Amino acid sequence: MRKLAAALVVSLLPAVSFAAYPDRPIKLIVPWSAGGDTDVIYRVFAPLMQKELGGTIVVTNVGGASGTKGAKEAKDSPADGYTIFAIHDSIHSTYHTGVADVSYADFEPLCLVSSTPSIVTASPKTPWADMKALLADAKARPEQITVGATLGSTSHFFPAMVARAAGVKFKYVSYEGTAARMNALLGGHIDLAESNLTQKGKADAGQLKFLAVASNQRNPEIPSVPTLKELGIDVEYAVNRGLVAPKGTPPAVLAKLRAACGVAAKDPSIAEAFKKQGTLVRYLDEIAYGRFFKTNDDETVEVARELGMLKR
Amino acid sequence: MFELLWQGLVGLMALKYLAPLALGTLIGVVGGALPGVTITMTIIIVLPFTFGLDPLQGLAAMTGVYVGGSAGGLVTATLLGIPGTPSSVATTFDGFPMARKGEPGRAMWLGVWASFCGGMLGGLFLIFATGPLATFALEFGPWEFFSLFILALSMVAGLVGDSLLKGLLSGALGLVVTVLGNDPILGAPRLTLGIEFLEGGIPFLPVLIGVFAFAQIMGDVERMGRARRAAQAVDRTLSLAVSHAKVLMEILRRPFLLLWTSFIGVVIGVLPAIGGSAANMMAYDQAKKLSRHPERFGTGTPEGIVASESANNANVGGSLVTIMAFGIPGDAVTAVMLGALTIHGIQSGPLFISQHPKIAYGIFAAYLLAHPIMVLVIALGARWMLRIVTVPKAALFPVVLVLCTVGAYALGNAMSTVYVLLIFGLGGYGMVKAGIPLAPFILGVILGDQIETNLVRAVMTDADPWLFVTRPISGMLLAASVASVALALWQHRRVRRRAPADAGEGADF
Repeated sequence: MRKLAAALVVSLLPAVSFAAYPDRPIKLIVPWSAGGDTDVIYRVFAPLMQKELGGTIVVTNVGGASGTKGAKEAKDSPADGYTIFAIHDSIHSTYHTGVADVSYADFEPLCLVSSTPSIVTASPKTPWADMKALLADAKARPEQITVGATLGSTSHFFPAMVARAAGVKFKYVSYEGTAARMNALLGGHIDLAESNLTQKGKADAGQLKFLAVASNQRNPEIPSVPTLKELGIDVEYAVNRGLVAPKGTPPAVLAKLRAACGVAAKDPSIAEAFKKQGTLVRYLDEIAYGRFFKTNDDETVEVARELGMLKR
Repeated sequence: MFELLWQGLVGLMALKYLAPLALGTLIGVVGGALPGVTITMTIIIVLPFTFGLDPLQGLAAMTGVYVGGSAGGLVTATLLGIPGTPSSVATTFDGFPMARKGEPGRAMWLGVWASFCGGMLGGLFLIFATGPLATFALEFGPWEFFSLFILALSMVAGLVGDSLLKGLLSGALGLVVTVLGNDPILGAPRLTLGIEFLEGGIPFLPVLIGVFAFAQIMGDVERMGRARRAAQAVDRTLSLAVSHAKVLMEILRRPFLLLWTSFIGVVIGVLPAIGGSAANMMAYDQAKKLSRHPERFGTGTPEGIVASESANNANVGGSLVTIMAFGIPGDAVTAVMLGALTIHGIQSGPLFISQHPKIAYGIFAAYLLAHPIMVLVIALGARWMLRIVTVPKAALFPVVLVLCTVGAYALGNAMSTVYVLLIFGLGGYGMVKAGIPLAPFILGVILGDQIETNLVRAVMTDADPWLFVTRPISGMLLAASVASVALALWQHRRVRRRAPADAGEGADF
């Protein structure tokens, strides 16, 4: 019996260092609740990646505190390649506005996966026919028009940037997650919110109003919705999602993960699946993604400073 | 419409759909019955398997899990006094006392058939009232939600135990637990004492398992040594077999109770973000308040079981209303179902039913069919469930405790959740000893974050506090909470006058 136990211990110990990676499931932390945009994206992306890796990836939802609860958990996880993190542009804004202590620099970039252009979306109970009417009203009633947002996150920064560019002021109310915001828009409990093409069904049914899209060109899915730039508001904005691993993950493991991510992102079925969710595939390898992080972070600092939200 | 529903039912009868539905229901019942495994966790486990199926197959499987899980919790709730899911907390109040009195079969089957009836009534609402109910739900802004949660808490505080004061205290303690950790809006740390683990807040499930499983088992362990007679009462001839006609009659003899508690379940389901965990307790409270014998509640009265179980299954129907009408998830379970829809490229939203009638009516049909399947699954599994009751307690309790601990560990793959379990287990045991009821505490923990978030939202939207009273629905809900406390006071006094020296055994969970 004792021999058996000893054999077990001996056989288990070196396994950790020598076994081929991955020899057990990899945890992919999604810092938002199940059923949200990020969750849905990775639930189709993860299976392709795991096919390439030859191991299982388990999507784990750790929502709360503007997505920083999951970020903290990912940062504090062992850097052994068995925890990876579904990062999102909000990591920059939550760090610089002081919501949380986690920054992009706590992680090693794997790859950028997707980009989802933001849309200025209004409640059906608002009187505005278009973006111009909204802005005129906002000028007449400063800080009265309510915007639902995950405070300190992308859904807060985007309307704040629009307001700054158009010279108006909104009032922000905390509604964490797209589902909660859409719900509040439908009921008219808030006037405005950021959304994206996943809400097209509701817009078609007249339950939401798409006022303007923040991409460079009009989107063929919604040809009648103008871009912000057309309207003279110089804001281009999209929510970019990618994968990272905790700092200190072994290079060999990182290489495997990066290769798998690249193969999955280039799979033709992914573009098709993402399109159904109003999202574009945007693949960047780790080097380009690292640069992207840096530029994005610098821009966030600038915007946060101008908005008076910069804490560090 | 009936034609479409009929086609949906007939279409679903094909093995292609029936198999995933039945399998989903089975998995749901098992997951629901295991304390510490919620319906949300079960449905997330099932989700990846649905990717390869066609959309309706996947949705049928998930609808099965949802219905099965909402009923499965009652098995452990009645037989062990430990709620299998948060949705069956109130089922323990009367289900377990009844089982302990030697009628485990009656307790369990009352629950099963009440789930069935509640679910079917919920189905009627789903089919006929989707439109108006969903419009009503949209009227709920942060003010209304805040007032609704206050009503839920004040109702439940008056619900169990011998003292309203202790009930309110218990609810308040639950709220304090939710204050620990980072605040839900901006993540400012509160009462964390610099302990890193506390920053994330106290996870809810180990609290539930700790408070109910541990405190329940400790109480039973004490009784084990004391009462030999009771042990003999649970003899080998015991069986879960009952006359189903008799049990069904027991439920149908109370049509108003069934209708009203199912209605509460549906309404709570339609309102986003509340779910079965509150529905069962609110329904139980209503049953007690409307009863001519409120003093019998908590001792094993059938009404208590019927109220709780009919409400939590009707709640499923209600959640489906919201998803069908707006494409908005009412709770975590329907959020996952919606996620599955988008993976298949189906746009949810108000046009869902007209654009995808086959799938929409398929979900209706799956919901209706899942209920008889659920009854069948439990009937077939009863033989094994009976073991829970006949196994000697001395062998059963350690096993249950180990399972609870493993479950708590698995939640976060960390010892910290196990410590939470231990601390709240001891705390819960202490509360039982002090005669403080546990249900308001649990509801406080469930609703705390929601109460706070909605209060902050309301104030951020408009700084005027009078809106809580002047907005009609919100004002009505607050008035109802005051009335609820007043009614509880009056009822407590009446009971006390009637039975001045009736010192109960302290089994008021």
